[in-house]
Amino acid sequence: MTTTKDTTASGNGGDVRLTGIGKTYGSFTAVHPLDLTVPQGSFFALLGASGCGKTTTLRMIAGLEEPTSGTVHLGDQDVTALPPYKRPVNTVFQSYALFPHLDIFENVAFGLRRRGIRSVKKQVEEMLELVQLGEQARKKPHQLSGGQQQRVAVARALINHPKVLLLDEPLGALDLKLRRQMQLELKRIQTEVGITFVHVTHDQEEAMTMADTVAVMNAGRVEQLGSPTDLYENPRTTFVANFLGTSNFIEAEVDAKSGDEIVLKAGGGKLVLPRARTNAPTPTGGKVLVGVRPEKISLTHADDAGGIPEGRNRITGRIADSSFIGVSTQFVVDSPVCPDFEVYVQNIDRDTRLVPGAEVVLHWNPAHTFGLDAAQSLLAGTVGSAGAGTVEEEVAR
Amino acid sequence: MTTVAEAPPRAPAPETEPPRKRGRWTPYLLLVPGLLWLLVFFALPVIYQASTSVQTGSLEEGYEVTWHFATYWDALSEYWPQFVRSVLYAASATVLCLLLGYPLAYLIAFRAGRWRNLIMILVIAPFFTSFLIRTLAWKTILADGGPVVGALDTLHVLDVTAWLGWTVGDRVLATPLAVVCGLTYNFLPFMILPLYTSLERIDPRLHEAANDLYARPSTTFRKVTFPLSMPGVVSGTLLTFIPATGDYVNADLLGSTDTRMVGNVIQSQFLRILDYPTAAALSFILMAAILFMVMFYIRRSGTEDLV
Repeated sequence: MTTTKDTTASGNGGDVRLTGIGKTYGSFTAVHPLDLTVPQGSFFALLGASGCGKTTTLRMIAGLEEPTSGTVHLGDQDVTALPPYKRPVNTVFQSYALFPHLDIFENVAFGLRRRGIRSVKKQVEEMLELVQLGEQARKKPHQLSGGQQQRVAVARALINHPKVLLLDEPLGALDLKLRRQMQLELKRIQTEVGITFVHVTHDQEEAMTMADTVAVMNAGRVEQLGSPTDLYENPRTTFVANFLGTSNFIEAEVDAKSGDEIVLKAGGGKLVLPRARTNAPTPTGGKVLVGVRPEKISLTHADDAGGIPEGRNRITGRIADSSFIGVSTQFVVDSPVCPDFEVYVQNIDRDTRLVPGAEVVLHWNPAHTFGLDAAQSLLAGTVGSAGAGTVEEEVAR
Repeated sequence: MTTVAEAPPRAPAPETEPPRKRGRWTPYLLLVPGLLWLLVFFALPVIYQASTSVQTGSLEEGYEVTWHFATYWDALSEYWPQFVRSVLYAASATVLCLLLGYPLAYLIAFRAGRWRNLIMILVIAPFFTSFLIRTLAWKTILADGGPVVGALDTLHVLDVTAWLGWTVGDRVLATPLAVVCGLTYNFLPFMILPLYTSLERIDPRLHEAANDLYARPSTTFRKVTFPLSMPGVVSGTLLTFIPATGDYVNADLLGSTDTRMVGNVIQSQFLRILDYPTAAALSFILMAAILFMVMFYIRRSGTEDLV
C-alpha cells in the first residue's frame, strides 16, 4: 500500500482533461463535444440517467470507444490515439467482466503479467488483503458472491496503479444494503490509494455520498458540475434541481430589487430571493422560478400563524397528503402557487393537528431560496415516482 | 373450529395425489423410446459383433463361438498399417479443420454482424447435398489435368508435396493428399459449429477487460479467447477425428490401394471377402483405439465440462 502512495505522489499533473470530446453514432449524438477536467486524486462522478452519454464518456477515457471529435489528455500526455492496452487507465466494468477461466489470484495478476512483471505474488496478496479477499485467492469467479466479485474487479484494476480508475456503474448489480457498504468501501480505498476515480452512476445518492465533484449529464451534455453540496443547494437548471433530490417550484414575478435581495410576487404574497442564489435574468416584471427544498420548510398550523417570526418566506395551503416514514413525515401541501408542495418535517415534536385537510402556513428562511430561469420545463429531471426511467422521455423530447 | 379448518384440504387431497405420482414417472417414460432405440440398434448389434469376432468356421459350414481371440491378433498384425494410416489421415484432417474452421468461427461469432446468419447457412449448406455426391465432386475438382492440379503444378507445389510423400508424380487424385482434403472438407462443419457456439458464448466485455489490462489483441486471444473456446476446440476435434478415423468413403473415392484406411478394410472384409470374424475384430479394435485416444485427449486438455 505504501508503494501505491509513492507512485501517485510521483505522478504530478495527472489530471484527466477532455477537450471538445464528442461521440456520434450515425445521426445519433451520444455525447455533445464537452470539456471536462478531473483533478488528480479526486473522486469524480458522472451522474445521469441511462442514455445520457456518461458511459460513452467513460469509455472514451478508457480508449474502448473512439471519440468522433476532441482529445483526451492524461496529465501532459495526449492519449486520444492510444489503444486501451497502452493507456495508464483501468476500468471496473459494470458486469465486472472477470475472466471465468482464471482464479481470483490470476485475475488480479492479469495486468501485472501482461506488463512483464515476474514476481507478482506479494503485490497480488497485498491487493487481495486491501479488498479483504485474501482467503479467496484460489477460487474461481463464479464461486464468489456479487459483492466479492465486485471487489475482485476493483483489485484487478487497482493493482496496476493506474493514473485513473474508471468505474462503470460498479454497484449496479448489488442489492441496496451491499451497495451502501460498497460505497463506503470504495471511498475508503480511494482515500487510501489516492488514485483519481471517475465513477459513472445513475444513482444520485451514490454520486453525492462518494464523489468530491459531480458532473450531472443530460442528453449528451454536462448540465452542471460541482461539489455535491453545491449542486444540491445551487442547482442551475430544473433538471439538476429535480435529479438530485426533490425541489418545489413556484412561478413568480420580479417585483423589486433591493441590495442583495430580489422581492418577488407569487400568488398574493411576497417572497424574498437572495441575489447571489440565482443566475437567471431578473428584469423587474420578468418571470423567475423560485425553488426550495422540502426539508428547508417549516410547517405551522394556520391557527398559530401569528407565531411565525418576521422575515421568513411564507405561503399558505392545505395538507393534501401525509406519510409517516419514521425519522420524518412527508407532507404534500396543496397551495395556490404550487399544487404539490412537498415538505419534510423531522419528527421531533409532532403536531397532531397536521393531518390531511388542515390549513397550514409554509415558511422558510429566504436564504434557502434559489432562483432559476423560468423558460424551462418544471419537470425536467423528475424521476417520476422512483426510477430514473422517466428521464429518458424528457431526454427524447 | 379445527375440524372446519381441516375439512377443506382433505377433500381435494386424493385428486392431487395421482398426478404427482405420474409426474414422478414421467422422466423415465420419456427415456423409454431412446433406450429402446439404443438397445435394438446399438447394444444388440455390439453384442452380436462381439460374439462374431470370437467365432470360427466358414461360410459353407457355418460359424460357431469358439472364443478364438487369436483373430484379434491376426487382424492387428496384418492390418496395422491401415490403422496407423487412419489415425494419421484423421489427425491431419482434424488439424486442417481446426486451422480452417477456427478463423471462420471467430469471424462469424465476433465480426460478421448482420452477415452472421448468411455465413452460418453457407457453412451448413453442403449438408443439403449427399455426402457421396460432394465427395464425387472432389474427384472432378482434383482430376488429373484439371485446373487445380494444373495450378498446383505450375506453382511447383506438387514438387513439394510429392517430396513429402503426400502426392504421387503430377497427380493429386488417388494420393494421401486427396484423401485428407476430402476428409477435411466433409468434416469441416462439425468443427465449425461447436467452435462457433463456444466462441459466441464469450462475453465481448472480457475482450475489453483484457485490452484494458494491457493485453494487446494477440495476447487477448492467447490468454482469454482461446482458453475460453477450449470446450469448442475439444468437441470440434472429437466430432471430426472420431468419424474421420472410421471413414472409408473418402479413401475409396479419392484414394488408391495405397491409401486404404481401416474403414476400407472392414468394409471389404464384411462385404467382399465375407470374413465376418476378422471384420468384427477389426471394428472392435478400432472402437477400443478411438475410445482410448479420446479419453487420453480429454484428460490432457482438462476439459471435463464439454460444450
